[in-house]
Amino acid sequence: MYIIVVGGGIVGYGLALELQQVADTEVAIVELSASRASQLRDELGEMVVHGDGSEIAFLEGVGARRADMVIAVTADDGANLVSCQVAKHWFGVQRTVARVNDPRNEALFLKLGVTTTVSAAAAVMAQIETSLPQHTLVPLMALQSAGLKVVDMRVQDGAEVAGHTLRDLKFPPGVLITVVVGPQAARVPDGDTVLVPGDEIIAVIPHEAEERVRAMVTVEDGM
Amino acid sequence: MRVVIMGCGRVGAGLAQQLVNEGHEVTILDTNAFAFQRLLPEFSGRRLVGSGTDDRTLIEAGIEQTDCFIALASGDNRNILASEKAKEVYGVRNVVTRVRDPLRSDLFARLGLKTFSPTKFGIDLAHEAVLDATGGQ
Repeated sequence: MYIIVVGGGIVGYGLALELQQVADTEVAIVELSASRASQLRDELGEMVVHGDGSEIAFLEGVGARRADMVIAVTADDGANLVSCQVAKHWFGVQRTVARVNDPRNEALFLKLGVTTTVSAAAAVMAQIETSLPQHTLVPLMALQSAGLKVVDMRVQDGAEVAGHTLRDLKFPPGVLITVVVGPQAARVPDGDTVLVPGDEIIAVIPHEAEERVRAMVTVEDGM
Repeated sequence: MRVVIMGCGRVGAGLAQQLVNEGHEVTILDTNAFAFQRLLPEFSGRRLVGSGTDDRTLIEAGIEQTDCFIALASGDNRNILASEKAKEVYGVRNVVTRVRDPLRSDLFARLGLKTFSPTKFGIDLAHEAVLDATGGQ
């Protein structure tokens, strides 16, 4: 897999370190500032390229045409959006990920075809919310093109689902419970898995199912 | 008509003055108040300091009621972001975007923005002048 990361700031650098560890993955980090690029190059080597990740001619040169994914994580929302749109519509890149610095831009990015958005503000909020004992349903990631989202939920005392096996529960169509984390251990659920209050559930759900699913794991007036 | 112009450079300032002369209601934005010195002192349109990519600034500029939005800031990407926002989020019908890079200008025209590239005009003019001088040899 070939991934182009646009932006070599703290986020891009951290991402590069992670992606370096992934087998069979080739990574290019594109950095606009010459001094920052040479600093990164000293540490990360050849994968760092000095250039403008929204410039079509330049992207052609770094092989955008064969990229499987473009991840734009600069501090400039305009650059991130344009890099993703150029990647998708000029080079036919299947998956694009954009960092959203201004949370108000998120809906626009998704509407314009960015596959996934990453917002520092939203990520921090999700971290805080998932750590609250009374949290109910926290979106972790949107898979916009598929109309799905990954959510983290906690089963409340007296909730509709509490004490029932997954087989008996009528979740809306398309809901996929992927992991159930109990007080002892995480378990991959099957039909016999019983949901108990306090269980944390990671699930993939269709957007339109969110309200119903939320209602099933919480009690009335649950936050 | 009501017009919001993003960017008070030479083109933005000149266009703003021309539209005001024609009787249009103009609001011009720039992130730097210093840029407004390019407007004549008697310019009767509205000057607003702020970024055309920022929702608060756009709303203050009257983006929700405007007939036309023209992005003439220095950065192509900012112009594109602001224009897509004006069109998709605020439903402005007439959105015009300056994109200096001819390739990006073409791409975003294909994606539905009304773009123009002064670079493209510059290339064409220079090309023509060169050929005129050499008789095409």
